[in-house]
Amino acid sequence: MSNWERLVWNQREVLLKGFLVTVEICLIAFAIAVVGGMLLCLVRLYVKPLKPLAVLLIEFFRATPIFVQLMWVAYVWPEIFGWPGTFFAAGCVALGVQSSGYLAETFRAGIEAIPRGHREAGYSVGMSPPQVFRRIVLPQTLLASAPSIVNQFTVIVKSSTLVSVITVQDLMFQALKLVTVWYEPIEILTVTAGIYIGFVFLVSLAGKTLADRLRLRYGLAAA
Amino acid sequence: MHVESGVDAVPAIRVVDLHKRFGTLDVLRGVSFDVRRGDVVSMIGASGSGKSTLLRCINRLETPSSGEVYIDGEPMGHRGQGDAKARSLAEINMMRRDLGMVFQQFNLWPHMTVLGNVIEAPIRVRGMSRREATALGEECLARVHLEEKSKEYPARLSGGQQQRVAIARALAMRPKAMLFDEPTSSLDPELTDEVLVVMRELAADGTTMIVVTHEMGFAREASDRVLFLHNGLIEEEGPPSQVFGAPKSERCRQFLSKHVQ
Amino acid sequence: MVSDALAEALDLTTFWEYREVLLRGLAFNVYTFLAAATVSIAIGLAAALLRVNRLRPLRWAGTVHVELFRNAPDYIMVVWVHFVLPLLLGKLLGSRIEFDPFVSAVIALGFVYSGYFAETFRTGIQAIPLGHLEAARACGMSERQILWRITLPQVVRRMLPEAVNIFVSQFKATTIISLIAVPDLMYRVGMVLQQEMKPLPLYTGAALTYFIVVYLFAGTVRALSERWRNRIYA
Ligand SMILES: Nc1ncnc2c1ncn2[C@@H]1O[C@H](COP(=O)(O)OP(=O)(O)O)[C@@H](O)[C@H]1O
Ligand SMILES: [Mg+2]
Repeated sequence: MSNWERLVWNQREVLLKGFLVTVEICLIAFAIAVVGGMLLCLVRLYVKPLKPLAVLLIEFFRATPIFVQLMWVAYVWPEIFGWPGTFFAAGCVALGVQSSGYLAETFRAGIEAIPRGHREAGYSVGMSPPQVFRRIVLPQTLLASAPSIVNQFTVIVKSSTLVSVITVQDLMFQALKLVTVWYEPIEILTVTAGIYIGFVFLVSLAGKTLADRLRLRYGLAAA
Repeated sequence: MHVESGVDAVPAIRVVDLHKRFGTLDVLRGVSFDVRRGDVVSMIGASGSGKSTLLRCINRLETPSSGEVYIDGEPMGHRGQGDAKARSLAEINMMRRDLGMVFQQFNLWPHMTVLGNVIEAPIRVRGMSRREATALGEECLARVHLEEKSKEYPARLSGGQQQRVAIARALAMRPKAMLFDEPTSSLDPELTDEVLVVMRELAADGTTMIVVTHEMGFAREASDRVLFLHNGLIEEEGPPSQVFGAPKSERCRQFLSKHVQ
Repeated sequence: MVSDALAEALDLTTFWEYREVLLRGLAFNVYTFLAAATVSIAIGLAAALLRVNRLRPLRWAGTVHVELFRNAPDYIMVVWVHFVLPLLLGKLLGSRIEFDPFVSAVIALGFVYSGYFAETFRTGIQAIPLGHLEAARACGMSERQILWRITLPQVVRRMLPEAVNIFVSQFKATTIISLIAVPDLMYRVGMVLQQEMKPLPLYTGAALTYFIVVYLFAGTVRALSERWRNRIYA
């Protein structure tokens, strides 16, 4: 009992600090993933001359293991591009970029699943192509992809444990540090695993609830 | 503006020698006809005869290979009045607003409420205020007897109700004419009537309409003129009494014998 | 400046010099993957059978298994299995136990991905029309025969595309085992790095190698599984 108190309860502030860093990284990476994924998808679908580049990037991001990509972004990108300047930024970018590859494909499936008639209905009431995209195609795509988007967030959370390797002080980093200080891994690592599993569980539960709601309300199939 | 001898001298829609080719397939091979203001024209014909393509060429969801469509005397494809320059997409968009289109597959936007579907274009395209558009939208929904469904999402409606919303959506642009492409063909038989009732009311109100349909009862009773399309040409044309009573073309007679009980 | 760095990153001679060492590292990724995938399939199938069991407590156990492992990050599980599990087992057995890093990696990745396999198996099992099972019962087949002869062959066909996706993720996940000192490709890249101090070509080489391997692996497995599916069930 005293072990739990000494190693976990008394360290709660450190663990909380780490958890907040985890959440921060995941949110930034998620934003990068959604915006980047949409950009890649749009380029792939609508910018003919750049399509091969977009496909290559999407495939590369998807096929490269996140740990390898993380090291690559953290140690190679700054030399080549002069950016990202911090390991924190590198972590966000690596996580975001990997998920953007997956989301690009999700968005593409979403866009291609919209019946042509929905667009034509827009043109027939005089909407311009940008209006049709913004008001009809984009919202439907995002709605249909919502469950996959949430799921991608859980992937980001799981992968985010690896940023501890490049010394970003997230929950995993703090837990491992406590282990090296006290050399008593049982309680700390079990609680940390529990926090991650609980967090991911809650996010996917929210995702499932959201998906059911959307299906009921808009009659959309899950993408 | 030059002076015409009367309002009705200019047809609401004039189609002149329209051709449409998909690759090597000649789908429309020279179609011409007029629709006067307030007229209801029913278009019948076998599947694949080019009816949908014709409607889609009229509001330029497809670009005709040659020929021209005039809306109230204004050519759709070029600037008119001696200016042969093709219209830009923006100009075509502008003219499209004058033609309401109702599709076989309703094509309601699932992420917007019923009212949202109806007021989308008045707000975004006509630039109406939300308040104005809502009033207009409710009026249009009332015309299709669905005012109580305005807050529902399309997925909650029956097919017949969805199609009536689609009609309201087209009406909300206050179009000069309405184009219907088999509006009841994807509905269960017991749901077609509620849509046909609405269409008959529109016809009685003096709405200019082109209706592609397999509902021979509607074509016979509600239209002023009937066109029978075959292989991309108008094979038979006239008032319903003539087309249904004494068709001149053998093909038209065969078609009718199959479709009229 | 930029092009210098780029040229250095793409100059893979250093990477090539160490190809033998690195390739042997890649072999560890493959071994780990093969062992872990076997564990995943076996445990995933067991968990799926629990989840479709008639007895509520067993169903419940199956659900806990799935939710626990599907929501767990790979890395924390690898670390937990390597550092915590031996201690717990040691306390239980009253002796000192240590896991070889390779064993830890296989257990951790095997269990984590069994959660995904369980869900895929379950969906496949539940998609089978009841009539097929009733027909088999009517022929007098035992429940065990029905499972192996009627249910699983259909399940495998249905779940194959999804299973390929899980395999690909699982293979990619094997890169983190370097963090508990399994001498895989990434681990050896780290070692070479200490001698050569050339992170640019080494990490770029690693990224490209994994990209090509994963890309080819995914393509091949997809093609093979398609062929197999078509041959058996055409
Ligand atoms: N976008 C298109 N590309 C190629 N062929 C088309 C296209 N649209 C229609 N067609 C062809 O044109 C012919 C007429 O089609 P359609 O106008 O839809 O006939 P209807 O509406 O009378 O059934 C059909 O043979 C059809 O296959
Ligand atoms: Mg048609």
